[in-house]
Amino acid sequence: MDELKLGPITLRNRLVLKGFEILDRRFEIKEILDEEVFTKLAPTHLGIFSCFGGITFFIFLMQIMTGLLLMIYYVPDTQSAHKSVVAITNDIPFGWAVRGLHFWGANLMVLTVMIHMGKIYFGGIYKAPREMNWVTGVALFLLTMGFSFTGYLLPWTQLSYWATVIATEAPGAMPVVGPLTKSLMLGGPDVSQVTLSRFFTLHVMVLPAATFGLLIAHFLQIRRQGISGPM
Amino acid sequence: MEEADKSWSEAPVSRRAFVGSAVIGSAIAAAAGVFYPLARYLLPESKSGGGKKETYTVALNEVHVGEARFFTFKRRPALLIRKSDTELVALSAVCTHLGCIVKYHEESKQLLCPCHGAKYDQNGRVLGGPAPKPLTAYNARIEAGTIVVEEA
Repeated sequence: MDELKLGPITLRNRLVLKGFEILDRRFEIKEILDEEVFTKLAPTHLGIFSCFGGITFFIFLMQIMTGLLLMIYYVPDTQSAHKSVVAITNDIPFGWAVRGLHFWGANLMVLTVMIHMGKIYFGGIYKAPREMNWVTGVALFLLTMGFSFTGYLLPWTQLSYWATVIATEAPGAMPVVGPLTKSLMLGGPDVSQVTLSRFFTLHVMVLPAATFGLLIAHFLQIRRQGISGPM
Repeated sequence: MEEADKSWSEAPVSRRAFVGSAVIGSAIAAAAGVFYPLARYLLPESKSGGGKKETYTVALNEVHVGEARFFTFKRRPALLIRKSDTELVALSAVCTHLGCIVKYHEESKQLLCPCHGAKYDQNGRVLGGPAPKPLTAYNARIEAGTIVVEEA
């Protein structure tokens, strides 16, 4: 009968508790929450720079959601790609917002990844026993670069076309493996529909899948090893 | 102290209830801020392009012979030139070079772009400058004393 004193919110609290009970009876989530969430408190020595891994993950989730929305209207065809991007920006309601979030999220994500890496590097946090977490982290950084590189071509503007020409000429100048690498990236002698198709596939399927896999490894490692002590 | 407590307990809404509704209200507002744009983004457009053609109408006596009238058509600037009593031309006012708004010069009967000097005649044909193609033309006709502009 104590609950009655809480006033009008009690009913809602009861519903939330009831929902929790229903799940708990079947999956014993109280035990998981106690073990994994409520007893794992953040160490007090953490500062703002310790947050950038989490911020990066948050931006990545935003990129997934806005990316899915963009994919609904984007057409990966050299004749229609630019037209569809212009339509998203100018004609589709709130398309400017979705594209803007994706664009700025992409730029910000590179920045937050850099800050995160800087913290880990200059704090010496990559040292044993966390070397493998540094390795998955660097792989995730390279994937972020891959996202930026492949996503830049998709609007099919002059800027994106020539950026891709230049960025594939560079590995093409490598000795021995250069020409092979370049034609593997472009799918032919120059930037064409084939290039757009494979960049699109990389951007929306291959890189996200690889990123998710590595993120799981990255998070399991920190879960197991814990956050490193103060400097 | 007792009096103060009394005044609180007599308040029409308890503090707990007020804070509770404020939190729920903010949560609903935040959720609406996400889901309204999402719904608008995903739902097919009902206003423009929903099968119905956009038209612009203006009374015939409001546009004098030799004059140009600027208006918004398909969310872009457009202009209407009355060449003679019955001859009308409706064009997009967006320069085909880099998208500036062209100006109409009544004396020379030319459309000039102030940005890079593209020149068009009254019908939107390119006379000079960097414009790669003529201005987009729309259909303009007179219906019972009213000018009706439609997409060509």
